[in-house]
Amino acid sequence: MTTLTDISSINYRSILFDSTRCIDCRACMVACSVENKVPNDVTRIWVAGAGVIGKFPELERATMPYHCMHCHDPACASACPVGAYTKRDDGPVIYDPEVCIGCRYCMNACPFDVPHFEWDRGVDQHPEIIKCDLCSNRVDGGGEPACVATCPTDALLFGDRHELLQYAHQRIEEHPDRYIDRVFGETENGGTSYLILSHVPVEELGLPGNIPNYGVNKLSEQVMEATLPVAFSWAAILAGVTVGVRAVKKHKGEDSATEETEQES
Amino acid sequence: MTKQVSRRDFLKLAGATAGALAVGSMVSPQVASAAREAGLLDTQDNGYVSTMCEMCVWRCGVLAKVENGRVVKLEGNPEHPHSRGKLCPRGQSGLMNTYDPDRVLTPLIRVGKRGEGKFRKASWDEALDLTASKMQAIKDKYGPEAMVFSSTHNLSQVQFENLLYAFGSPNYGTQRSLCFNAMITAFLLTYGVEEPSRNYDNVEYILMVGRNMMEAISTSETGELSRALDRGAKLVYLDPRFTKTAAKATEWIAIRPGTDLAFLLAMINVITQNELADCEFVRKYVIGCDGIQEEMAKYTPEWAEQITGVPAATIDRIAREYAAAKHNALAHPGWRTSNFINSFQTERAIATLNALSGNVLRVGGCLSTEVAAEGAGLANPPQPAYPRSSAIRLDGAPWKYPLVPLKLGVFQELRDSILTGEPYQAHGWFISRQNPIMSLPDRGKTLKAFEKMDFIATVDIIMNDTAWYSDVILPEASYLERYDPMLPVGDKAFLRQPVIEPQGEAKSALWIYKQLGERLGLGDYFQYADEEDYLRQQIAALGVDLEEVKRTGYAELPASEEKKDEELTFNTPSGKIEVYSETLKNAGFSPWPTWEEPLQPAEGEFYLLTGKVAQHTQFGTQNNQLLHKYSDEPRLWMNAQTAEKMGLADGEWVEVTSPVGKAHSILEATQAIRPDCVYLTPGYGHLSKGLTTAFANGASDSALHLSYTDPISGSQALSQTFVTVKKA
Repeated sequence: MTTLTDISSINYRSILFDSTRCIDCRACMVACSVENKVPNDVTRIWVAGAGVIGKFPELERATMPYHCMHCHDPACASACPVGAYTKRDDGPVIYDPEVCIGCRYCMNACPFDVPHFEWDRGVDQHPEIIKCDLCSNRVDGGGEPACVATCPTDALLFGDRHELLQYAHQRIEEHPDRYIDRVFGETENGGTSYLILSHVPVEELGLPGNIPNYGVNKLSEQVMEATLPVAFSWAAILAGVTVGVRAVKKHKGEDSATEETEQES
Repeated sequence: MTKQVSRRDFLKLAGATAGALAVGSMVSPQVASAAREAGLLDTQDNGYVSTMCEMCVWRCGVLAKVENGRVVKLEGNPEHPHSRGKLCPRGQSGLMNTYDPDRVLTPLIRVGKRGEGKFRKASWDEALDLTASKMQAIKDKYGPEAMVFSSTHNLSQVQFENLLYAFGSPNYGTQRSLCFNAMITAFLLTYGVEEPSRNYDNVEYILMVGRNMMEAISTSETGELSRALDRGAKLVYLDPRFTKTAAKATEWIAIRPGTDLAFLLAMINVITQNELADCEFVRKYVIGCDGIQEEMAKYTPEWAEQITGVPAATIDRIAREYAAAKHNALAHPGWRTSNFINSFQTERAIATLNALSGNVLRVGGCLSTEVAAEGAGLANPPQPAYPRSSAIRLDGAPWKYPLVPLKLGVFQELRDSILTGEPYQAHGWFISRQNPIMSLPDRGKTLKAFEKMDFIATVDIIMNDTAWYSDVILPEASYLERYDPMLPVGDKAFLRQPVIEPQGEAKSALWIYKQLGERLGLGDYFQYADEEDYLRQQIAALGVDLEEVKRTGYAELPASEEKKDEELTFNTPSGKIEVYSETLKNAGFSPWPTWEEPLQPAEGEFYLLTGKVAQHTQFGTQNNQLLHKYSDEPRLWMNAQTAEKMGLADGEWVEVTSPVGKAHSILEATQAIRPDCVYLTPGYGHLSKGLTTAFANGASDSALHLSYTDPISGSQALSQTFVTVKKA
């Protein structure tokens, strides 16, 4: 039905998160808020995950800084009726509040539940969708996203996607005891620019585990592309049915004794 | 919010709530002229200024990004060894301290009752004249010792001490006895060094006793620990709570509070009885080599199992693993070690374990006891000799606590002496950048001590709780708005310089102390024209000019000679590591690390644990809106099974009662704590209505803590308070 998107040749800029290095200090979140002048009542990054798992004293922790995955096939962009989202050639999915009409289709479309709306703002206060833009301004200037730059334990790395993927797989190979054998984001939703190395099943980090390995927007786009042919086909079928029914009725009126035979035919 | 509302009028403030303020909406931007003159900013006042963080005492290097005359972002300075390009959440939030809408921006003089929060604005001249005249009046009537001075761990502390010693008072309150007295006193006695530095380059086996490095973040050291663990080093972590450090440890041991000492003594027992130590090193460098085997024989792992609840086989195994790592083992000295009355002995046992591993042997070993001559190459302004202080100290050092270093002191005892009036009555208190109302145990007592004062003046940037109860508040410039004395780190002296001009009327501590000094007739002790003149005198001998230092953010210090292994000497009476200490023996204490039984909770009571969260520093940052945004709500942790047995549900209000106070908190029923303990998120429960974000949020454990003082180190035992919990 749908083919796996090959994005290995695209030189996306990406972030690799390693849950074994993260100490949940939230320096990334504060840095993001300051860098992007995010209002105090909303955030572009948040703590996700199960937190403390297990029963005293057999415990472990699972949390991650959660933000936009920067999909290769961004469903938000597909769903947006006014083109407020653009996918940059180097990876970031950018939201333009000037274009946004506040319909929030993107929120429904995103398989990672990322775009957040400023519900507390009235229409006159221009509520916006709150979402990470991979610090495009910093990256364009040759820097790293603010979250990556400040991470005290190097749990976040920034670089070329295929190099980060290669590194992530090397880590799994070297430490099969530390990681699950999966780099989340490698294929999920057709591949993302936020990649995650995890020590626990990804659901425990708060990620949706059953994301297909193709862009979910491909499904809707295929459906949407089929709209006209389907509509025309339906029109043809219905027209046929109408013609048939009328013919039957006519026939019935003439000779009700033959109804069964007609219906069977 | 409007400018008028943001510029807090404290008379009308009660009940005001913090809005969703964008960072810094209150004062018109004004970039530091010095930074502009030094060429750090372009014609639009955009650029980066190198300075130093003050969100905790680790003091990372910071590059402050300025746009149109406003600080818009802080980055870790890659050239500074404490930050290496990184900042923790507190460091990242630093500009919100500067742009806090609750900043005190003019001197204030109290007009209502103390603690009522009624103040009027005053000019600097009026506020300084009043402060100096009150201090002088107390000095004239009762002697200089009737003025208490207290301040904690800041770069201008050298001039605070200058004011104190010039004034002639012996009463100096630091908060160190509430923090690291046990660690420092133990390492001074054993190694002759206050706080040995740690090196994780080659470490293979790390033992941390309640050192919650992943939440009590020291940016570079936390990063080093993380890297060491990543390359395979083992971390054994002792804590009754499953902290974020426990989550990263190879092995977490949920030890019974107060019994770490028994665990460590049993480790020493296993190592010495089985002769697993680096015997050559120990024979050459350790005093106590001969008697230790016999002395430690009684501390068997089986003995320790009874006390700690940790299986003897586990202790035995960990001791053997630790010994097998030889020089690459590290028993971390810890930092805030004010836990139990036996914390000094715990630190002595840690010092001993390091001595047995020989990890100080090499340059670059896991533990370094070499004291870099602090500030070598930096000069100070000239000054006359200090007057002799004729009075004994109120905090009992050294006449009651002979081994407590004077610069540490015993703060909780100082407060108690104010209350009792023994050995004499104090009448005035000058406080800078410190919040004793929140930090001292038994807050009720501290408030009573405040009531006994004739005069209290506080220097701070916001209306902290102590300022709220003061008579005069002198508004200090924030760390992004001022100069401080330079700080030597390694082979460089780093500069804190203003990124923006002070907002409102705020002034640097260097200026405030000098102004007070001059009004007290002590001008000769403050021979600097202004902050820049002070710095020029500091770097006079370094052959570099201040403009250059402003550009780079540091001055190179003269290189010190590298020590070689055979020169290994220690700054103790014997020149060796004193596991056996004559000094302790002569003072009437055990010369060996020795078991001391800590108090235990009665049936139905819990240990009340304190700790750290990564987003806050003690009691000073809860009003920072960015940190507030990203902190978990303050809670009382209780083991989920225990809570269920007691019929308490997660998220409900509970009342916590100790012998000295009550507190109300929302309960967090969690697996991450021992069933016999509760833990209250530290730093919350502020009393000052001048802190619109922090006021009345959470509960304060200082309202519950009992005062206990260790007679050797003067350390307060903060986890030795036992509480009951019931539905609120």
